[in-house]
Amino acid sequence: MNEEIRRVTGIILCAPLTRRTVRELLYCGLGGLAGVAGFWITIVMLALGLTISASILGTVIGLLLLTLALRVSRRLGALHRRLAGWLLRYRVEAPPKFQPGTGILGRLDKRLRDRAAWRAVSYSLIKLPVAAVQLYATTTACIGLVDITYPVDWVLFRHQATGPMVVVFPFPFSGTFNVYGFAGTYLAALAGVVCVLAGTWLARAVNVGDRRLVRALLGPSSMAERVSELERTRTLAVEDSAAALRRVERDLHDGAQMRLAALAMNLGMAREKLDDDDATVRELLDAAHRNAVDALADLRDLARGIHPPALDNGLPSALATLAASSAIPASVSADVGSRPAPAIETIAYFCAAELMANAIKHSYANQIKINIFTERSGVLCLEVTDDGIGGADAARGSGLTGLAQRVSTVDGHLELSSPPGGPTTVTVKLPLRA
Amino acid sequence: MNASQQTLKAGTVMRVVIAEDAALLREGLTRLLEDRGHSVCAAVTDGDALLAAVAAHQPDVAVVDIRMPPTHTDEGLRAALTMRKAFPGTGVLMFSQYIETSYSAQLLEGGAAGVGYLLKDRVANVAEFAAALERVAGGGTALDPEVVSQLFRASRQRGGLATLTPRERQVLALMAEGRSNSAIAAELVVSGGAVEKHVASIFTKLGLPPDESDNRRVLAVLHYLGSPA
Repeated sequence: MNEEIRRVTGIILCAPLTRRTVRELLYCGLGGLAGVAGFWITIVMLALGLTISASILGTVIGLLLLTLALRVSRRLGALHRRLAGWLLRYRVEAPPKFQPGTGILGRLDKRLRDRAAWRAVSYSLIKLPVAAVQLYATTTACIGLVDITYPVDWVLFRHQATGPMVVVFPFPFSGTFNVYGFAGTYLAALAGVVCVLAGTWLARAVNVGDRRLVRALLGPSSMAERVSELERTRTLAVEDSAAALRRVERDLHDGAQMRLAALAMNLGMAREKLDDDDATVRELLDAAHRNAVDALADLRDLARGIHPPALDNGLPSALATLAASSAIPASVSADVGSRPAPAIETIAYFCAAELMANAIKHSYANQIKINIFTERSGVLCLEVTDDGIGGADAARGSGLTGLAQRVSTVDGHLELSSPPGGPTTVTVKLPLRA
Repeated sequence: MNASQQTLKAGTVMRVVIAEDAALLREGLTRLLEDRGHSVCAAVTDGDALLAAVAAHQPDVAVVDIRMPPTHTDEGLRAALTMRKAFPGTGVLMFSQYIETSYSAQLLEGGAAGVGYLLKDRVANVAEFAAALERVAGGGTALDPEVVSQLFRASRQRGGLATLTPRERQVLALMAEGRSNSAIAAELVVSGGAVEKHVASIFTKLGLPPDESDNRRVLAVLHYLGSPA
């Protein structure tokens, strides 16, 4: 027990001598000053913005001031985060970057709805009392340091001076007492030690609270916001990859395919001009010509597998071509109102292609029906039905598992109905937007 | 003068407008056609320029790429459809890397006379390509084998088609491409008489009225296959 008390007392008394204390006090000083300044900057801009925008004439200026206040708050938040990271070794991840909207109103709307900025505003406002305590702690510690030096001061500077030495002792909040002799300076030094200790521990205590505020208000937001952020970025990723595939197809079309077509044409023209008696050259030319034509066909299939160009004209058009090239008679009925996002169209198209290929490979069907329509709830519904033998099983490692995964990247889902003896119907439901 | 009645005799100089955005192909096509003695009045790079060139030159036929600027989707097709309405005497040969069912349906909607739709690959066979273009210029039809096989697959007349022998199906496909009896005979390496026999048999089996004119025969076949032509 005695050991324990001695250990704790040691920690309490030695704390001011650690580097950590220097950093914590420095944080209190700098962070406190920044906090007080930030509070006033924020509150003045907010108040001005709100009052000006309340008047009809000043709405524009007021809103501009508001958005400026929000931007400044984000900056102030970043400053506080950096101070906490540097001096308290307390690193908090920055909230997601601001995503500007499009158009003047869109930008304004996004700014005003920027939750991270509003949280930074609330930090700036709550920080004021915290900053006051932090500054008090720093000041106390500094005064304490001065007080400790009094015995030395007395010896060095007090030979000829008259009158008492004034000792500042900020407890309970502010106060002074006088010392009249060298012995009294020891009392001043003792008061200084008390001040340093009190400042140190007050700083540590208030910084614990400040850390929590920084984490809660300047860090990444709550789980729900994180989820919506992830959904947003996932949509971007899905759309991005669809756009990238489309670009690849277009590059193929304008590049390799076009050059090959020109090559085949030139070879064809060369063949026409060649004399019949040059048999070897003719043979070589024929082979080159054949290869060019075959390569064109290969490249076309490849490009179609990357992004079917008819998708640019909508799903019904692309599915019509798909059905017309099917080995089993296939019919398409389409009733799609507003066009889904390009990424959704791509997924629906490749689902239909894969399901048709499955039906052709496994079902012994005579007829495939593709039905695509928009449900009233804004869900795109793709049904592929064949009159084959049925008995398809998603668990048996068919392509269905892969399809279900692909569909789930946009929160869609896939249902399979395939009783033995058929018919098999696969229903894919997709949102209209990724 | 109705486009389908207009005929172009062999050896006649065709006046052609080309709309193709890829310079390599545009120049290649120009050279190919000029080599064969035809005259290329204009070679343009987009739909609007095509309409202007056709209005200015009144050509026999236009070779039109489907994907052109600015959107690189189907502006060539849309320009061609406008052109068909405004200048019914001018043939249109659509020229594309892809055969799309919806494109051929739109193209054939206004009739198959003076219409062609070929894959760009077909230009590799220079003589056949030139023959197809001449057919279209003369009010005939030139459909890619791919277009025809899509029509066969999508056709509701499967019962009728099933009664044909494999050889007769081949002949029917070549007729649907727009070819004449002599061209079919050359392609299948048989005599003209044999082709005529096949054609007569096909028309009897499918219950189509026999017709001497190649152009109208194509229309009957396409109509049978369920195309709007």
